[in-house]
Amino acid sequence: MENSGYIALSRQMVLRRQMDVVANNLANLTTPGFKGESMLFVEHLARTEPGEKISLVRDIATIRDLKAGPMIETGSPFDLAIRGEGYFAIETPDGTRYTRAGGFTPDAEGQMVSAQGFALLDDGGAAITIPVDALSVVVARDGTISTDQGELGRVQVVRFENQQALKRQANSLYDAEGQAALPVEEPDVQQGKLENSNVAGVVEMTRLVATVRSYEMAAKLAKDEHERQRRAIDALAANRS
Amino acid sequence: MKSLDIAATGMLAQQLNVEVISNNIANMNTTGFKRRRAEFQDLLYQNQLRGGSASSDAGTIVPAGVQLGLGVQPAAVYRIAEQGSMNITDNPFDLAISGKGYFQVELPSGETGYTRAGAFQLSADGDLVTPDGLIVQPGITIPNNASTVTINASGQVFVTIAGQVAPQQVGQIELATFLNQAGLEPIGDNLLLETPASGTATVDTPASTGFGSIEQGALEASNVNVVSEITNLITAQRAYEMNSKVIQASDEMMSSVTQLR
Repeated sequence: MENSGYIALSRQMVLRRQMDVVANNLANLTTPGFKGESMLFVEHLARTEPGEKISLVRDIATIRDLKAGPMIETGSPFDLAIRGEGYFAIETPDGTRYTRAGGFTPDAEGQMVSAQGFALLDDGGAAITIPVDALSVVVARDGTISTDQGELGRVQVVRFENQQALKRQANSLYDAEGQAALPVEEPDVQQGKLENSNVAGVVEMTRLVATVRSYEMAAKLAKDEHERQRRAIDALAANRS
Repeated sequence: MKSLDIAATGMLAQQLNVEVISNNIANMNTTGFKRRRAEFQDLLYQNQLRGGSASSDAGTIVPAGVQLGLGVQPAAVYRIAEQGSMNITDNPFDLAISGKGYFQVELPSGETGYTRAGAFQLSADGDLVTPDGLIVQPGITIPNNASTVTINASGQVFVTIAGQVAPQQVGQIELATFLNQAGLEPIGDNLLLETPASGTATVDTPASTGFGSIEQGALEASNVNVVSEITNLITAQRAYEMNSKVIQASDEMMSSVTQLR
């Protein structure tokens, strides 16, 4: 009897979360290395007492849009962007994490670190230290970092079999959660550039409108259903008297 | 509704972005000014449904799970040390650096300040000073009776004294470079301070390996590119508007709930 109300409710619940995803995408419209997300909905069939099937909706996954973001020229020699496939490896207190946000700077010891101070790793898994008296830093397309005093090493660029399974963490980092990091044979590292967020504002706005309208429709359905039940009660009560 | 807070972080971030851009535009004619860029990072993620958890009795597994992001935060505002264009002024004490390096000046506190703004003047004692009267290091004193002052690309300062034929050297300008120029701390008045992030200063004569050369009678203009700043401003403003629309839309969703009964 109340099923139609529950169906509308299941729709409203997922739309609220969909709204959170859209809001997060728009908030990160200018976050380097950010990948937009969308919610994956599935039909959830439930069998009721009389044997009829009702169809509810469930959100089972947030799917990352993996397409490349636009490259922005920053002019800083320590800003790196990966064109095509790959992630940088970062050493954090919780273990190795991966990111596509390549805004690095040398710290006081000359170690290349991310904005949080976590070290960027080379292909041997060691931090990259730029000599304090180095005058220029050049990063080649294959990720080799050299200064006027010679070669320092190659930035580690890795890929994953299943990128969707990488777990998002704050500060644009990803946790591989046990998935093996495979080396990218021929990475294309761009110096002096950052990969901007791949969120398209216009697309998110249309999703925003669609979410609000769908939510209103579900609310309307719930309201109509409530109206119908009320009228049924009224009619039945009227018959009795 | 989380989307209200998420959109608020987005609006705050874009506000910071507009502040940085407006400071760049305000300093488009400031000698030696280097433009700045605001960089952002995403905030924490909340796991609504863990990836890898079972989605049915048959043991099918959720491939990715539902991870809801909680917005954006500013990560850094850093200076971009690209060369600015040269403006010819023909003033003998206007010096521009072509390439890497900073002039060193002595701050009232005794610390060394670094600057790219080479609009120098002479003090009452003939010392080379900044417009604020800070003495350029190492100190250069121009004799009272000097008729012309010539500063060459390697920073050697020569004066011709009335009645003498040969010019004589009265000083040598030195430049400082840093590994991470973006790590220098701006303190206003076109001055920068050394920080742990910048690394220690390497001091040498201009035009030596890795150091820029001195151009006399020129000033380095600000490296702000107004066209790109204006386009950045438009992007920031639109992003701000989009985030405000999210707040509006979340509000509509909540109001449709309150009208249910």
